[in-house]
Amino acid sequence: MLQIESLSCFRQDRFLFKDLNAKVLPGQALQIVGENGSGKTTLFKILAGLFDEYEGRVILADAGRPLYLGHRYAVNDQLTPIENLNFLLKLNDIQQAEGLLTAALARFQLCSGLDQPCAALSEGQKKRVALARLMLTSARIWLLDEAFSALDAPGRAVLSEVCQAHLASGGTLIFSSHQGIPEFASAAQLHLKAEL
Amino acid sequence: MTLLLRELKILLRSPAGAIQSLMFAVLVIALFPLAITPDPDQLAPLGIGLIWVVTLLACLLAADKSLASDYADGSLEQMVLSDYPLWWMCLVKSMAHWVSCALPLLLMAPILGAMLAMPLDRIVWLMASLVLGSPILSLFCMLGAMLTVGLNQSSALLPILIAPFLVPTLILGTQWATTGGEAFYGYMLAALLCLSVVTLPFATAVVAKIAVSR
Repeated sequence: MLQIESLSCFRQDRFLFKDLNAKVLPGQALQIVGENGSGKTTLFKILAGLFDEYEGRVILADAGRPLYLGHRYAVNDQLTPIENLNFLLKLNDIQQAEGLLTAALARFQLCSGLDQPCAALSEGQKKRVALARLMLTSARIWLLDEAFSALDAPGRAVLSEVCQAHLASGGTLIFSSHQGIPEFASAAQLHLKAEL
Repeated sequence: MTLLLRELKILLRSPAGAIQSLMFAVLVIALFPLAITPDPDQLAPLGIGLIWVVTLLACLLAADKSLASDYADGSLEQMVLSDYPLWWMCLVKSMAHWVSCALPLLLMAPILGAMLAMPLDRIVWLMASLVLGSPILSLFCMLGAMLTVGLNQSSALLPILIAPFLVPTLILGTQWATTGGEAFYGYMLAALLCLSVVTLPFATAVVAKIAVSR
């Protein structure tokens, strides 16, 4: 469960957002909605624990460390998709057989070029490498900041399926997206409006 | 261990940075006799100091490169968020920095020394002092790189910020080698190394948390 209580963030002489309240139970999704510059990424960073200049409370109840996937999704150009994935999992102390890694990449339609450095991949393909991590993580709370951008329609479809499977297994999903995702049209929304 | 392997793989696949600092060092040493004097009697006493200064500058030159890509692609954020101790990752980063700029120079030291007409025993002491001293340089460079990563003009700010902290190491290292291994300088250098290894990775870890929240 993730709960936000009267969360305010003051940045660069103005309130980025003020008095936010939200509660997301296991199995539920929450969409963060807001214009460019309205503080979505800052909110994600606060929830992930990267940014702590805020007022109010963020409660992550017995869910362990959330998995945060931001605009910069930690795929190194010099490493192959398998090596990148291995490193990201290693950071969360997860050891997986290479077969599972290839299976996770295959789920996101990356089958060839797995032994080539990621520099050769397109932006969308790099994003898929980062997203393959979702298949292997044990984190219960997913924080996906603009995870649907840079993906083509089949990619978005796979991602929504993976997210729905996560929700079905009692996970929690918090995401932002400028595109409408039909599968999550009914998800609760949290609107960010920049205070003047 | 996995983390160190990752760093080394990245280094091997993009060796331009390491080669650049090595080339810089070799060029300075090669041009020095041409510009000042080819006379071995005048060159030999300068060797230790010159190679130490060049090593220090080469380390500074490569410092910001080692972190820039991790910051830009978001790996640094993921490292801060990971279950791994962050100080350990900072130590690994310092080791990778040492392998990429100090180690090649250390291995080249006999050749660089010969280019400056240094006698063999001087070269041995020079290498000994670099073995003890250069890890301190790498640890400080990583702290500086972490302080300035993501800032505009970070490559200009970093040397100004970190160079003063490298001076004690430079003095102790060169004195130890020049005096042919006087115990006082050796002990001080070793003590400084121990102190740096146990404190600087922790300081760098604190700074890393600030860096990702910018």
